[in-house]
Amino acid sequence: MLGANVLERRLQIAGLLVILGLLVEASCLFWARPLAFVLFVFIGVTFVGAGLLVYLYSVVSVRH
Amino acid sequence: MTTVLIVLLICLTVVLSAVIVVRPGITATRGGKMMAFLVLFALPILCVGMGGAAQLEHSKSTEFCLSCHIMEPYGRSLRIDDPGHLAAAHFQNHRVPADEACYTCHTNYAMFGGVKAKLGGLKHLYVYYLGKPPAPENIRLYEPYNNRECLHCHAGARSFEEGVVHTADPELLPALRANKTSCLSGGCHGTIHDIPGLKDAKYWKAGG
Repeated sequence: MLGANVLERRLQIAGLLVILGLLVEASCLFWARPLAFVLFVFIGVTFVGAGLLVYLYSVVSVRH
Repeated sequence: MTTVLIVLLICLTVVLSAVIVVRPGITATRGGKMMAFLVLFALPILCVGMGGAAQLEHSKSTEFCLSCHIMEPYGRSLRIDDPGHLAAAHFQNHRVPADEACYTCHTNYAMFGGVKAKLGGLKHLYVYYLGKPPAPENIRLYEPYNNRECLHCHAGARSFEEGVVHTADPELLPALRANKTSCLSGGCHGTIHDIPGLKDAKYWKAGG
């Protein structure tokens, strides 16, 4: 399951963070409550943002 | 319908991300790298953007506002059977959209007013969950209600411009337009939600 090298592991971590964030967001979309809005912004966006940053870091830090 | 489409897009992104998580080796190829960029960068940004827009739309709904327990009396005040009660008269006669009743009056129609209204909403959340929320009858607006929000709809309307009471004093209309005299002054349209009077009020039931 774990990637063979550092780059692949980072991509896996990025993917997992994005998945978690998007699942939180999808569940919040069906729930018209202020708490859903807060969870969407502070949990969902945070996880997705972290996944994006890990992906970008993995792209710029790869050594050929 | 829009929410369903956004959720489908999220599901697609989740599935494609899961492919990368399970088989990260596919990113070794050129096509895999492009897929990784799409799935781990472009699509999540699109999902968050569209989801955020949908959440902001949801936050305008009457259901959203009244979902907090502290707002329950304000929801009841919309059904008071008395045309003198401003909020009830607007809600029951669909002078404001019934599904965005609260937002239509409690937004800010100035430039970036929508943003200010949303920031005010975040402040409500902070007070409600982390602060000391007042009793419903003690809730006050953060600043006095601006006539601009009334005039957004009523300016130019015959009932406003030519109303007997409005035209009795020639200085009244200019004062209202300049926000020097509030539309909600006592003796004018001062009965709005009337929370203390709810227990004695008669209520209207939709559908007869």
